[in-house]
Amino acid sequence: MIFYLKKRKRLLAKITVGLALFFLGAGSFAVFSFLSRKFFSTHWAEQSQAVIVLMTLISLLAYKPVDRWVTHFFNQYLFKKKSYAHLVLMNLTKELDLIFDFQEMANLIVNTFGEVMNLKTVALLTASESPGQFEISAAYGWPLSEHRRFRCSKKSPLLLMIRTGGEHVLVRNQVAKSFTWQETNRLLHDFDRLRANWVIPFFVKDEFVGLLAFSAFDPERTFDDNDFYFFREFAGMIAKNLYKSQKFLELKRYNDQLQDAQSRILQKTKLDAIEQLATGIAHEIHNPLTIISGKAQVLLLQSDKKKNDSRVEDVLKTIVKQTKRAADITRKLLMFSQSSGAPKEEIQLEQVLEDTIALVSYQTSLDGIRILKTLDHKLPPLFANVHEMREIFLNLILNAVQAIGTEGTIRVLMNYAKADELIEIQISDTGKGIEPENLGKVFNPFFTTHHSALGLGLFVTQQIVHHYGGSIRVESNPDEGSLFIVQLPCGDISRNLTKDKRSSGISEGK
Amino acid sequence: MAKLLVVDDEIEICEFLKLFFEERGYQVSTAQSGEEALRKLDDQVHHVVLLDIHMPGVDGLMTLKEIKGRNYGIKVIMVTALETRDKIEEAMRLGADNYITKPLSLEYLERDVQEKVAQLARSGKILL
Repeated sequence: MIFYLKKRKRLLAKITVGLALFFLGAGSFAVFSFLSRKFFSTHWAEQSQAVIVLMTLISLLAYKPVDRWVTHFFNQYLFKKKSYAHLVLMNLTKELDLIFDFQEMANLIVNTFGEVMNLKTVALLTASESPGQFEISAAYGWPLSEHRRFRCSKKSPLLLMIRTGGEHVLVRNQVAKSFTWQETNRLLHDFDRLRANWVIPFFVKDEFVGLLAFSAFDPERTFDDNDFYFFREFAGMIAKNLYKSQKFLELKRYNDQLQDAQSRILQKTKLDAIEQLATGIAHEIHNPLTIISGKAQVLLLQSDKKKNDSRVEDVLKTIVKQTKRAADITRKLLMFSQSSGAPKEEIQLEQVLEDTIALVSYQTSLDGIRILKTLDHKLPPLFANVHEMREIFLNLILNAVQAIGTEGTIRVLMNYAKADELIEIQISDTGKGIEPENLGKVFNPFFTTHHSALGLGLFVTQQIVHHYGGSIRVESNPDEGSLFIVQLPCGDISRNLTKDKRSSGISEGK
Repeated sequence: MAKLLVVDDEIEICEFLKLFFEERGYQVSTAQSGEEALRKLDDQVHHVVLLDIHMPGVDGLMTLKEIKGRNYGIKVIMVTALETRDKIEEAMRLGADNYITKPLSLEYLERDVQEKVAQLARSGKILL
């Protein structure tokens, strides 16, 4: 029955209007005849011509207001479809208060709006991260890849028009009226790109922040003033919420940065503490070590050797060796704190690598480890401290030697990436590799998996590399070996060199 | 006979160096501070000085400056522990003849001292 009534809504409305007019006419007639009989004692009002004239007059005067009232009554109370949609959307805006994630909010808006209003496409356009650009942050009824690619400058005709026009809902078929045909064409092009017949702009504090563009399945579909009024209300709420979530996102980003900075400060404080401790201990321990080692050497190097048997000599040698090892540790601990003051000069990395390999070659040949080099011959000179560079190579190569144990290959690769002005050093080994859970820790001070190592080599290496503005990272799989990649920037020095060469060339030319 | 002066605020270090070099036929005196060292150099002729850089009061660098300023014509070997490179370079600039790091390798030190003595002998400043 209700369904049938809805179908015949228009007819029902007309009948209701007719009935209402009839009753209104009859009522007025009753009042008139009563008044005329009472005050004028005539019965003219009961004549049929008078009835017709009165009815016609009343119909003419009352038709419009009655019709409007009946339609309003029908829409508001009897056939609540539209108001139901409005109700859902108002509830949506309340729900948005509890959502802080921008993407989640955008998706919810377009999907709810599209479904409830029974639309073909809906797109939410908001400011993108690149300034002056707008992008679709969520879409309903669009092909997935297409809305991701959509970009729109804030100077596009549609957005310019919105910014000057204010908060009015734009209808595709009506915007054309007050423009030349070129302007109209460009405007309509914008509408088409957004697949929209209607556009609801969003403003926060009088600033344009985005828009909702949508189209219906039925090209003839229209909305009435009531709807447009609602759209503007709706847009106001949405805009505030979008603004809120964008601010929230910004806040979140700042918070992340803050946390990042905090953890870096913490790391720095930790390093400073280690440095202070190391400096103190190193200085205190060095003299006792010197005395122990010195006295052992006095006995060991006694000219009258007959007094000592070989066991005593072994013990003394161990004492000297171990005190030297302890002293080396304290020196290494100090190294990273002093690296900033080390004098720098122009050096050839190939030469440093050769020297370092020569240093370890005796040990590696005993262990059956081969070292293979591949060098880029166009390697530019580097402005650096030669000891620090040697420390980098030595630590990485010794690390590889430790990972291999016996029998294996170490590959050293040096490249110059001209475009990035970087020298890249790759040192890979065929050793036991690094467990995934340890990958993040290998550069931590005192981290070691080797019982006799101190765990400072890679840490010191990282400190030196960072001091030169470079980077170091490691790739490794257990049983497949490890690859250490060091990148050192060399831009300044090579630029200076070419400049020098050029100027000397000119003087030669003279 | 070559005469050695060992300068170190740590008395034990002076002692074992004295023991070691006396056994090898050097005449060794010791000093625990820069001031004491300068006094001993004034009193007596020495050929080689082993001078610790890090000392309280008049430190190694100041002592070195004094020694080279008074021009005793003697060789100075600096003994360093964990000093920064610029300190060592400063010492070399002030006229130190060599430097050796703690903990000391006595064999290396002995060779170095022998070499310095030989240089002095060649230039006729010392009679062996």
